[in-house]
Amino acid sequence: MQSLPIALRFARRELRGGLKGFRIFLACLALGVAAIAAVGSLAAAIVTGLERDGRSILGGDVELRLVLRPASPAELDWLTARAEVSQVVQTRAMAHAVANDRRTLVELKAVDAAYPLYGRAVLAAGPGAPSEAPLSLDDALASGADGLPGAVADPILLQRLALQPGDRLRVGTQDFVLRAALQREPDRGSAGLTLGPKLLVSRAALEETGLVTEGSLLFYFYRLKLPPGSDTAAFVTEMKAAFPEAGWRVLDWRNGNPGLRQFVDRIGLFLVLVGLTALLVGGVGVANAVKSYLDGKTVTIAILKCLGAPGQVIFQTYLVQILVLALGGIAIGLALGAVAPVALAALLEDVLPVPIAVGFYPGPLLLALLYGLLTALAFALWPLARAREVSPAGLFRAAAAPPGGWPRRGYILATGAMFLALAAIAVLTTAAQDFALGFVLGAAASLVLLRLLAVGITRAARRAGRPRIAAVRLALASICRPGAATPGIVLSLGLGLSLLVTVALIQGNMNAEIGGRMPEEVPAFFFIDIQSDQVAAFDEVVTAVPGASGLDRVPMLRGRISAANGVPADELTVAEDQRWVLRGDRGITYAAAPPENTEIVEGDWWPADYDGPPLISMEVDAARGLGLAVGDSLTVNVLGRDVTGTIANLREVDWSSLGINFVMIYSPGLLSAAPHTHLATVHAEGAAEEALFRDVTDAFPNVSVVRVKEALQEVNRLLAQVAMAVRSAAGITLLAGILVLAGAIVAGRRTRLREAAILKVLGATRADVLRAMIVEYAILGLATAVVGGLVGWIAAWVVITQVMGAEWVMLPGTLLLTALGAMALTVLLGLAGTWQILSQRPARVLREI
Amino acid sequence: MNLTNPPTARPSLPDGASAPAPATATAMVDLHDVHLTLVGTAGPVNILRGLSLAIAPGQSVGVVGPSGSGKSTLLAVMAGLERAQSGTVTVAGNNLSALGEDALALFRRRHLGIVFQSFHLIPTMTAVENVAVPLELAGRRDAFDLAESALDSVGLAHRRTHYPTQLSGGEQQRVALARAAAGEPDLLLADEPTGNLDAGTGGAIVDLMFALQARHGTTLVLITHDEALARACDRLVRISDGRIVADEPARAAAAAAARRPTGTAGD
Repeated sequence: MQSLPIALRFARRELRGGLKGFRIFLACLALGVAAIAAVGSLAAAIVTGLERDGRSILGGDVELRLVLRPASPAELDWLTARAEVSQVVQTRAMAHAVANDRRTLVELKAVDAAYPLYGRAVLAAGPGAPSEAPLSLDDALASGADGLPGAVADPILLQRLALQPGDRLRVGTQDFVLRAALQREPDRGSAGLTLGPKLLVSRAALEETGLVTEGSLLFYFYRLKLPPGSDTAAFVTEMKAAFPEAGWRVLDWRNGNPGLRQFVDRIGLFLVLVGLTALLVGGVGVANAVKSYLDGKTVTIAILKCLGAPGQVIFQTYLVQILVLALGGIAIGLALGAVAPVALAALLEDVLPVPIAVGFYPGPLLLALLYGLLTALAFALWPLARAREVSPAGLFRAAAAPPGGWPRRGYILATGAMFLALAAIAVLTTAAQDFALGFVLGAAASLVLLRLLAVGITRAARRAGRPRIAAVRLALASICRPGAATPGIVLSLGLGLSLLVTVALIQGNMNAEIGGRMPEEVPAFFFIDIQSDQVAAFDEVVTAVPGASGLDRVPMLRGRISAANGVPADELTVAEDQRWVLRGDRGITYAAAPPENTEIVEGDWWPADYDGPPLISMEVDAARGLGLAVGDSLTVNVLGRDVTGTIANLREVDWSSLGINFVMIYSPGLLSAAPHTHLATVHAEGAAEEALFRDVTDAFPNVSVVRVKEALQEVNRLLAQVAMAVRSAAGITLLAGILVLAGAIVAGRRTRLREAAILKVLGATRADVLRAMIVEYAILGLATAVVGGLVGWIAAWVVITQVMGAEWVMLPGTLLLTALGAMALTVLLGLAGTWQILSQRPARVLREI
Repeated sequence: MNLTNPPTARPSLPDGASAPAPATATAMVDLHDVHLTLVGTAGPVNILRGLSLAIAPGQSVGVVGPSGSGKSTLLAVMAGLERAQSGTVTVAGNNLSALGEDALALFRRRHLGIVFQSFHLIPTMTAVENVAVPLELAGRRDAFDLAESALDSVGLAHRRTHYPTQLSGGEQQRVALARAAAGEPDLLLADEPTGNLDAGTGGAIVDLMFALQARHGTTLVLITHDEALARACDRLVRISDGRIVADEPARAAAAAAARRPTGTAGD
């Protein structure tokens, strides 16, 4: 028999009754799906933005970066013969507002006439300037009537130095006229972590600042615009073959910002998993709603069976209804998720260095639809399958009872298949499969654990006997009676709480890592680009400042690992967490004696008077990540020359001290002869800090000063933004949890209303009823808080120590506060849901029910 | 409910001496030595203890007995809604113990109509849709035409698009009756069909039921507390404690007594 057409007809008739009782069902699905769809759409919008504007973000089809040295004439000739070239030089420098004597660190960027090859720099007329005459970048940077070159700057610099367009600004030994604020820099997305606002000057003017000296930390960028129709990859291959020893970092427009892309991927993955948790929590709500709907349909189902409807028709009739409703909820979620990027784009425009390509992305929406549908089925199949077991014989008695027990095996398998499919999609659609797999296993374990907890609480309540206190006795009876809300409350609260504790503890740990133990240990300033001939004078100036202490000064060069044991760097197999060592230029130094507080874990330091072929002391994790040991050879490209040395020893480095740390330290000799600058850190506080800043920048205009506090603030700001995103997502999960919790409590209201009425008839006061409810919800809340807290604690520990590789700080306060908050929430929600019961007149309730 | 002064109970056969009609191949219902113990939340209930009963096609049987005597369970066993633990249950030629759940559903659809004490209409469906359900389940293309004429035959054609909550108790039971009879079942089972109705309304329902039964030659099993109503049937079966304690012809002797109250009740 064709049962589906009949099931469809019956389902349609039942749905005419409206959506009563399904509001929480709809909200749960909509919320979870919206979270996943929004995160997916936003990530897609960012990635699309990266790809669409890849050329302007990078500044060209291909970008070559050299550190410390410009391209040789031979290299430049080769490049200009094949492409349009734009040269950009970038360095850190101190900008000095001449009028008010304020100064700050800037990222100085010198551009040529060809800049930008792609995109357009947008200048804002400053306050007071005629806005109808926007300057072109070339005009803004050109020398004016007074003979001074022009400059444009990030609006933040104008604010920080209290500058107006037209004011004078000194960099090194050269004065500039600030012509305008730089509203949009087309290639700003390609910069990594910046320590100061951007200041744009012309390439020619840079030469006049006195900052361009041998060994200064200058980055030379060559952006190339290839002739139309060129094969970018082939060009890069050809170029690498022509200059194998150039030591340049090559990026092309398709991977212009690998760091950002990875960041977006990672955060995206994390947020999708948080969204999935919201969906799982919502799933509990789905199961509760379906169960209570079907419980209400027990008589109808029994009638249908009496009239000859096979179980299949019953199952299909209600499956169709649940599917229709689920699709409704999912559609709401998808709509919200699809428009979320539009709303968020404006918010994120300032945070993200790349344009967001707002649009309609079917991929992530489809994925969210799939997640939503599978979740709805995974949680609804069980109650649906049980509904077909309704015994029609109940119609001859007072009431047909909802069936208990397990559904048929086919439905159990189908439910399992849905959960497996959810897990498979979560793992297979992500790049970080280990992480996703860990999440899936963790979520599954949490679900099982919480389900067991619910069973445990129910059993314990049943076995507790008859406590003397009436309120406790009533509470226990409420917890273990058939059809109690216990499993729903434990599951929804437990999942939500686990995630909340996880997020709170991870964030607490990150805060502790960054802020907690820093202040005493961290230097006040990093001084960069101290010339070799300035070293003695620099030491003098610093030691003359009262309160300045702990001067630590080392020579510094930049180098890029090009080979290990003769194997080219791009052919090495490297551990994931150590890839950064190869990714760009690393600071290198040389030293006769090991730095203070150094722990040599393998090999020996060289003699103080060593003067042989280069020896290298390498940071132990980096060495192991590259598969290197003492005695291996390492080739580093320094200033365009490959320098090969032998690893003499391996060192432990505590990066969190924020002192001067290097992955590679060379023996003196070869490197001390190369042109280089010096790097210094100095400790100072309060007045000494300001005096030190002033004296050093006065005496050495070429020396750049990084305020560690400001840099840390910058890092903290970034982390805060990430934390914000994570917290919002976790908030959605908590919201889902509250919805489910509220639903579970409301579902039990009818029974409670009746119970309370009977109790009152039997002489219980309102306070008695209230006490019993408080005890009940407190028991559930406390037990769930303990297990949820434990699950969250384990998850956070795994993320901090295993995924992030950081040190674990136990935060009992955070844990306790979150757990107690959850308990309080349960009690409050429980009471809010049942408050009405207390004021009801028993006679009315008993008449109605 | 009190339709009438119950006539003095006629002397019944002594315990154990009730002679069930011999099981024949032509019987519509044939129960033989049926045992059934139901285990509810409060322990075992509603026990049938070696019950045997045969009903010929077209016969109407009134079943009476005190609460908890097993009347409703007997009906559930005949409908294939409860399974006997031992003994054989044959209805309309089907050995119910041998049928699976879906086969039982099919059996009910083909051979049975059931009327309940509390009507049991589906609240989300209109009157005509309620009547059409079993016909739809049977795959009848003319389900709604048949349902409308069935509603017409119980005098409710004008109420067909009303939902159960918009109908009075008597109207609901008439719809239920139309639903039970629309498929022209071989066997009509009625469980206290007048139990929730006042005397006048109940009488009208009973008249309708007997009229339908007579028209189609349907076999009728009617469970009731009301001795007079039971006596309106061809045969009266008395159950106590899960066993038949009396089984006697009824209508011939009591027809007048049974018909009188239904006709005059409410006056």
